[in-house]
Amino acid sequence: MDRIDPRARWIFSFAFLLSATMFWNPAFLLLFFLLAVTWYLLGRTRWKETRRGWLLVGFMLFTMIVINTIITGGGAGGVVPPGGHVLWPAGFTIPLVNWQIYFGLTVERLWFAICQLMRLGGVSLIFVLIPYTMDPRAYGATFRGLAMPDSVAYTMELSFRFIPTLGRDLAVTLDAQKARGYELEKFKGGIFQKIARIAPLLVPVTMNAIIASEDVANAMDLRCFGQAKRTWIYPLRYHWWDHALIAFSALMLLGSVVAVHIFNAGGFWVPDWFMRLFV
Amino acid sequence: MTEKKKSIWRFGTREVVYAAIGAALYAVLGYATNMLQLPGAGNVAIRPAVVVPMFFGIAFGPIVGFITGFVGNVLSDLLSGWGFWFWWDLGNGLMGFIPGLIAAQIVDYRATKSMVMGVVFVVLAAIGGMGVASVSEMWVSGADINTVVFANFIPASMSNIINGVILLPILMVAYAAVSKRSGRT
Repeated sequence: MDRIDPRARWIFSFAFLLSATMFWNPAFLLLFFLLAVTWYLLGRTRWKETRRGWLLVGFMLFTMIVINTIITGGGAGGVVPPGGHVLWPAGFTIPLVNWQIYFGLTVERLWFAICQLMRLGGVSLIFVLIPYTMDPRAYGATFRGLAMPDSVAYTMELSFRFIPTLGRDLAVTLDAQKARGYELEKFKGGIFQKIARIAPLLVPVTMNAIIASEDVANAMDLRCFGQAKRTWIYPLRYHWWDHALIAFSALMLLGSVVAVHIFNAGGFWVPDWFMRLFV
Repeated sequence: MTEKKKSIWRFGTREVVYAAIGAALYAVLGYATNMLQLPGAGNVAIRPAVVVPMFFGIAFGPIVGFITGFVGNVLSDLLSGWGFWFWWDLGNGLMGFIPGLIAAQIVDYRATKSMVMGVVFVVLAAIGGMGVASVSEMWVSGADINTVVFANFIPASMSNIINGVILLPILMVAYAAVSKRSGRT
């Protein structure tokens, strides 16, 4: 993965996002999911380093798939037509308490949840990898190489470089405020008080950052920023495999457009074998 | 702070730095103050730092506001390990862009009129930005309009409106004091 040019990786990632989100057809979604798994394995990341990211993504997928699709059904409402084959038409009883539960989950919605898992899981596999495998020092050159103006690409690069400084300023401000009796973690009070309690932290950090930015802007002006085309400290070079990946991305996107808009192959359907498992 | 500002569409050296510092600030504060994930609301957390792109939009114009929101959200998600979620980044960008449209009208940051205008545009920005991001969930996750409205749009926009309405006037007053002391206009 490290040998692939970051521009080619962004192009592939966006082509994947656009292509995968055209389909609800489970056969195509399975193909995209397998492609995403292969891509993710190329990153050779360890569970230990990506655990936090997956916990957050897992929470999001749980909300979208389990709560919105399986429990409430609203998550499937845009694709799965109303009605269908109810999984437990007579309801079921919870042992010990003998509660009779009537749960309107249908076979179609359950299959849609699996399709959502393949589609959103595939997109997550592609994009979760980026922070763990892409060098942030190359972001400026990467976005310039993706046809962004110099000023915008430089903004991206500069913002990355400001993060450690601002993180340190935030920690110093927090310590200074705590020494004066400030308690960010205090759980008393309603939502309004909790938000207002952020102000003693937010205001000094923001104002100091604005004041500091004047010095940076003056230094850049003195070095004639923006007067000519920029060069980058980490130049990027395409190799044959990058061209191959970009060509593959273009074909994937084109193929998806043709499959969905000419052959109408993007629609949702439930396979017979899955239906027979329940009905 | 008595004369009118120049074009809000300018993007020179100062704007590059303001946008970069705003994005980094939004990322750091967003990462540090993601206080609470809203139950049942996909992708939505109470994030007081959302006032940063809104304020940078009002103070430095819509382009700075947009980049602060868009890039800041990208960086914040990358720091947290979320990955890259383009439609929510775009929504955050709009939350900086929309208040930026009145940047030229706000001359005295301490004046009641300026604060009222700021708050009104913060509300519009939260509705517009989170509206775009939420509606995109219909395309990405296949949810219906009811789910998108109740699980994404209302929690996200309400949380951002409350954060913006409380914290924006505080930042505007502080910025007025800093500007006056340092002779900025």
